[in-house]
Amino acid sequence: MAAFLVEESIYNLIPQVPCKPFKVPRYISKLKPYVKQTIQQSKFQWKTMGPAKVHVPSPKDFLQKHSKEPKLPKRKKDQVGKKTLKLSVPHRTDHPVMGVQSNKNFINTNAANVIMGVAKKPVPVCVDRYQGDKFLLETSGLVPRYLKKKDYGVTPTYVVRRNEEAKQAQEAYDAYVKKTLRKKAMKRLSDEEREDLLEGLKKNWVQVHQAFQSLSVEIDTLPKKLNKERLELQMKQLEHDISTIEKHKVIYIANK
Amino acid sequence: MATGDAESFTDELNGLHLEAVIGFNGHVPSGLICHPDREHLIYPLGCTVIVQGINIRTQDFLHGHTNNVSCVTVSSSGSYVASGQITFMGFKADIILWDYQKREMLARLSLHKGKIENLAFSPNDLYLVSLGGQDDGSMVVWSVLKKEAICGSPASARSAGNPTTLIYSNCRDEMFISAGNGTIRVWELDLPNRKIRPTECQTGQLKRIGNCAMMTEDDSYFYIGTSTGDVLKLNTKSTLMSDYGPIKEKFSLGVTALLLLKTGDLVIGTGAGIVAHCSGSNYKTIKKVQLQGAITSITPRGQGHQFFVGTNEAQIYRFSFSDFREELIATCHSEAIHDIIFPFGTSDLFATCSKSDIRVWYTPENRELLRITIPNMTCHAIDFMRDGKSIISAWNDGKIRAFTPETGRLMYVIEHAHSMGVTALATTSDCKRIISGGGEGQVRVWEISKSTRKLEEVMKEHISSISCIKIKKNNKECVTASIDGTCIIWDLVRFMRRQMILANTLFKCVCYHPDEHQLITSGTDRKIGYWEVFDGSPIRDLEGSLSGSINGMDITADGTFFVTGGDDHLVKVWDYNEGEVTFVGVGHSGNITRLKICPNNKYIVSVSADGAILRWKYPHAN
Repeated sequence: MAAFLVEESIYNLIPQVPCKPFKVPRYISKLKPYVKQTIQQSKFQWKTMGPAKVHVPSPKDFLQKHSKEPKLPKRKKDQVGKKTLKLSVPHRTDHPVMGVQSNKNFINTNAANVIMGVAKKPVPVCVDRYQGDKFLLETSGLVPRYLKKKDYGVTPTYVVRRNEEAKQAQEAYDAYVKKTLRKKAMKRLSDEEREDLLEGLKKNWVQVHQAFQSLSVEIDTLPKKLNKERLELQMKQLEHDISTIEKHKVIYIANK
Repeated sequence: MATGDAESFTDELNGLHLEAVIGFNGHVPSGLICHPDREHLIYPLGCTVIVQGINIRTQDFLHGHTNNVSCVTVSSSGSYVASGQITFMGFKADIILWDYQKREMLARLSLHKGKIENLAFSPNDLYLVSLGGQDDGSMVVWSVLKKEAICGSPASARSAGNPTTLIYSNCRDEMFISAGNGTIRVWELDLPNRKIRPTECQTGQLKRIGNCAMMTEDDSYFYIGTSTGDVLKLNTKSTLMSDYGPIKEKFSLGVTALLLLKTGDLVIGTGAGIVAHCSGSNYKTIKKVQLQGAITSITPRGQGHQFFVGTNEAQIYRFSFSDFREELIATCHSEAIHDIIFPFGTSDLFATCSKSDIRVWYTPENRELLRITIPNMTCHAIDFMRDGKSIISAWNDGKIRAFTPETGRLMYVIEHAHSMGVTALATTSDCKRIISGGGEGQVRVWEISKSTRKLEEVMKEHISSISCIKIKKNNKECVTASIDGTCIIWDLVRFMRRQMILANTLFKCVCYHPDEHQLITSGTDRKIGYWEVFDGSPIRDLEGSLSGSINGMDITADGTFFVTGGDDHLVKVWDYNEGEVTFVGVGHSGNITRLKICPNNKYIVSVSADGAILRWKYPHAN
């Protein structure tokens, strides 16, 4: 009954081809060429009739005692230039100089110096109160000491220098503003130019007028009509321009 | 007629490449022969002789006969193969002598009329003896080198029956033996006088019909297997019977094949399918094996350590003599194949149906995977359910049987599905319906569920047997072809007739074009008709064949090509749009009954009435 429950399928009939287990490729060392090369190198060395001639160590260079220990620099024997410090107290062995005496009469010389000397000027002092303290008068402020300074009441040089600089900067700025304004201002047509313009316009008008006058009397075709209209339009425009320029004395040209 | 067609076609068109043949005509006595090189089997199939490798699965085809091959023989050196054929009464039947190495025809020898009964080569390949059939009754000796007849003679005395078996001496080129119904003759060839002289053998009281014969190595004795079921042993020189046996328990249905071993023992094949190893002295059975079908040929491989047995159920067995155990090496249908079907989406399997069995084959190896046998019934049509869980078959006893596909067990039977046998069958792709057509002309729709099978509708329009049913992909429409000369397009929602196509023919096959706006039909009028599905109007008519009706048709999944096959024994590949034949396959020896293009467009498999399955390479595979 259990077998009946499992549903059969035609597709199960297809024979399963047993797939071969995947074989890992054989390990090949990366160092193989290197090994090969070294083997190759060492292999044919004896082909040179024995190993290559190498330097034979001398029998004198045998290993000596302590030769492998580190070598220290040699110790200096005597320390030149080293001086014994002068002691502030006399040495135990020093003996004071005994028996030295002066013949100078200090009492007389001192008296004579005082008698012959100039008398001392008294230091100006002030006393703040009765039975009060004494101060030096110089530093008390009671004497007009700063009024007598040499540069009293003169403007300091650094202020003068700063003012000078500010003034120069202001002038430079003003000059720049003026310049730019002038550059941006509309150009005024000079009188000669105006005259030239008027004259040119009139001349043009005369020409157009001439052409207009010499038109045929009968305007019968479309090109003729168009030509006439064009001339009329030109004349009208020129007349308008001339009247405009004549009306105004001062003409500015607007810059775009 | 058929071959005339074939030759004219092959001259001008590309031939299809034949990849494999599954088939063996087991009815030919001693038809299965192991070649002396021990590597090839030679056997007939329809009108071809096949040379097949034993270990390496190669197949070579000896094409040349115009009708079924009736006998095959191989010379003892193995360099020549000869085959004879049957033909129509009054016409000459050809013997063809083949060069085995080159696999080509050496000579066509025609003297006999009607049928070649048997052939034998002399031991040194000098002569070929041929025995004519019942209507011919003559014996002719041919020179193999000159390829001409030397002499001829009536094969038997007027009082005796016809000889059917022929055996040449193993040592001499001048002596051979014929045996048949009440006649056993030793013939001597007298070459200078161009005569053959028979000597009748005396069997005393025994009246026997000889089926097969075998000669000892030294020519002293020969053995005759008889239809009575015993073996006669006769002396060649004295032409007297020395002994016979077995006396008590004779082989039922006669001794049909015989093999003499070096030890003097015999291997006997019987009509009941028993292969027995008998001792040479007292004919007692030492070992025996029961096979399927009557044994028609036993052929040794080399010295007889191994031998092959062919049966009339078209099975080839290999025996190893040491353990005397059979091994089935090749099977095929022995009767006409009626239908072939591929399971949905795979080309590796296909199923065929024939009289009394359904077989499932493994395509790459040409091997049989499953056999479902219902004795004495004929299966007319099969189909796989789309899910692959059952094989539905239509039988001539009016039943629809469903089988499990792996074990071949019966799942269910719809009894009395049609009153005159079920002739056509189709399943819907949702696996819920079977549409069957019967011999009486009814189309029935069956609802299939897990446990029940219910008759949903009966559509009675056709008045004769339904030959083919095809269902649309959406399962809402189907078309049935009938041999009453109509094709009907049915609505499967309302169960009404939508369109009817009428033609003066017996429709044998119908196919929807894959876009399902057109369909193609064909039948006995040898025309391929293109029809509009919507209104049933004809579009085009093609001349499908010159000689025979068209029985099978299949169209590729993209609809650019279709194949047809029929009674002209040709497989034709057509361009659908051009209506031109692009390839022709020559190789069938029977009427092609059905053919299919495999789902992945690799092969074309065609089946024929002689039981052969031919696998062709699909030529337009990209």
